[in-house]
Amino acid sequence: MFRAILFSQWKWSRLIVALGAVAGFALPIVSLQGAAAADRSPLQVESLLRVVQSWGTLYPVLAAALGLLVAMATWAPDHRGRHVHALSLPLPRWRYALLRFGAGVTVLAAPIVAVLLGALLATTAATIPAGLQTYPIALALRFALALLVAYAVFFAISAGTARTAGIILGAIAALIVVQIVAGVANVELGLPDRLQMLVLNWPGPLAVFTGRWMLLDV
Amino acid sequence: MSRLAFPLALALGAVPSLGAQDANLTHLRWRADSLLGEWRQANAIADLVDSLERERAGSGRDTIAVGALRIVTNPSPLRVREAAARAWPLLDSLYGSAAAGLATRPYLVRAFDPDTTVRRPGLHVGMEVPWTLDVSALTQVLLANVPLDQPDPALSAWLSAPVRLLGSARTRGAVYVQLVTAPFQPARSCFLGDLRACRDALELGDGDPIERWYPGPTERRAVVSRWLPGASERPASAPGYRACVAGDDAACTNLLRSVPAAALPRPLDVTARATLVQTARRLGGREAYARLMAHPDAPMAERLASSAGVDLDVLLSKWRSEILAARPAPVALPPWALWVASAWTVVFAACGLRSSRWRVT
Repeated sequence: MFRAILFSQWKWSRLIVALGAVAGFALPIVSLQGAAAADRSPLQVESLLRVVQSWGTLYPVLAAALGLLVAMATWAPDHRGRHVHALSLPLPRWRYALLRFGAGVTVLAAPIVAVLLGALLATTAATIPAGLQTYPIALALRFALALLVAYAVFFAISAGTARTAGIILGAIAALIVVQIVAGVANVELGLPDRLQMLVLNWPGPLAVFTGRWMLLDV
Repeated sequence: MSRLAFPLALALGAVPSLGAQDANLTHLRWRADSLLGEWRQANAIADLVDSLERERAGSGRDTIAVGALRIVTNPSPLRVREAAARAWPLLDSLYGSAAAGLATRPYLVRAFDPDTTVRRPGLHVGMEVPWTLDVSALTQVLLANVPLDQPDPALSAWLSAPVRLLGSARTRGAVYVQLVTAPFQPARSCFLGDLRACRDALELGDGDPIERWYPGPTERRAVVSRWLPGASERPASAPGYRACVAGDDAACTNLLRSVPAAALPRPLDVTARATLVQTARRLGGREAYARLMAHPDAPMAERLASSAGVDLDVLLSKWRSEILAARPAPVALPPWALWVASAWTVVFAACGLRSSRWRVT
C-alpha cells in the first residue's frame, strides 16, 4: 500500500521535488562562490561571511516553500476527487493520512540529500581562510528539520476542514481584537510580541527557522 | 646701482607689511592670553560648583564601607551593602594596593523610586539608580563606575578608557572573531601565531603606524577607499584619492599620512587591548595595576611587560592562547533542537491525522 501511495506522491510532486533538489544543491555552492575565487584576498573574511550569511537566508525560505508545495501536492488530488478514492480504500482515515505523510517525507529526502551534497562539495572546493570552519552536516541537518516541520504544519493545514481553518483564523482575529482593545484602554498586553517569542524562540515550533544559517563561520 | 635698485625697493616695500604682521601677531597673542584666562576662570568655577554639588549630594546620607570602598547613599530599599560586598573583592584584585585610594573617593549613589512621577531635584555628581535594581546589576554599576583618578594620557590614548574588569569569555570571544575577520594583515598574522604581528595589531610596536598596520598596498588602498571616502570630495585630496583608487600606492600612503593617526582604523579595537591588560593583570598579580601606572612616560609595551612581570612576548603569547581558547560557539542548533523539532513534526502530523474532510457532508 505504501509503495502505491509513494508512487502517486512522487507522480504529483516530482517537479517540485526536482526543482527543490536543484535549488538545494546549488545554494551552498553559490553561497561559497566568493571563497572559490582565485583573486580573493585572505583579508576579505568579513565580506565572505557576510555573503554566506546573506545567501543563508534562502535555506529557511526554500524549506518552507518545499514543505508548503509538497504538502499541497499531497492532498490536492484527494480534494479534487472529493476523497472518493481514499474512501474506497479498506483503510481507516488515520492510517491513510499517515501513509500520505510518510510518502511526503520520503520524497522530501531528495532535497535534503541535495543540500548535504551541495554543502559538502562547496566546502571541499573552496579555499577556506584560516580561522573559519565549515558546517555542511549541521546545515543539512537543520535544513532537514526545518523542512519536516514546515511540511508537517502545511500537511495539517491542508488536511484540515474549512471549520478548522475558520477556528485558527478566528483565534488570530480574536488575538488582534484583544490587542487593539487593550491598546485603546492603555493596557500593555504585548500579545503579538509574546506570541512571536513563543513561536520563534526555542522550544517554539518555528525556532528552527530563525537565527543565522551559516555554512561557514568562525 | 641699477642692480641694487630692485632688492632695495622690495625691502622698502616689505617694511609696512612686516609691521602689520607684527601687529597681527600681538593681537592674536593677546586674544590667546585672554582665552586662557577665561578658561582658567571657568575651570575654577566648575571646580567650585562640583565641590558644592558633592557636598550637597553627600549631606544627609548614609556611608556604607566595605573594605576600602565607600558609598554615600540615601536611605532606600536598594541593596547597596550586598552589592558593595560583591564588588570589593573584584576591585581589590583588579587594582591591588591602588584600591586603597577608594577610601578617599566615595561613590555617590542616589537611589530613586522608579514608580513615582514626582519630580526629583537634579543631581550633577554621582549616580542615580532605581532602587528596584537587583544586586547583580548594582554590582555591575559599581564595577563600571569606579571613582579612581583617570589614567595618564598615554594609557588613556592607548586603552581609550580606564582599566576595568571585563566580562571574561564573551569579551575574549569577540576578540577571537576580530582576529579572524579583521581586514588587516597584522590581525590575521597574529591569529596565525606571529607575535610581532600581535605587537603591531595591539599598537605596541615602534615605527610608522601605516607601515605596521597596513603593510600591503592592497590593504592601504582598501583602507583609503573604505574609511576615507570623504577624501574624494575635498579638492585638496581628491586627485590623491583618485590616484590611490586607480592603484597608485604612493598616493594611498600620502593620503593615509595626511590623516591623524588617531583617526585611522586600527587592526584590532580597544576590546582587544583591554583583554591584554586583563591578561597582564592576571599574570602580574595584586600589584599589576600599580606597576602599570608606575611609569607613565615609558612605552606601553614596557609598562605592560612590567605590569605582568614577564617578557612582552610571553605576555602576548599567553594573551593569544587565551583568545584562541575563547573561540565562540558557532551558530548551530542547541543539542536538544533535534528532539524539539521532531516533536513538533509529530504534533503537527498528528493534527493532520485527526482533522478530516471526510466528516464533511
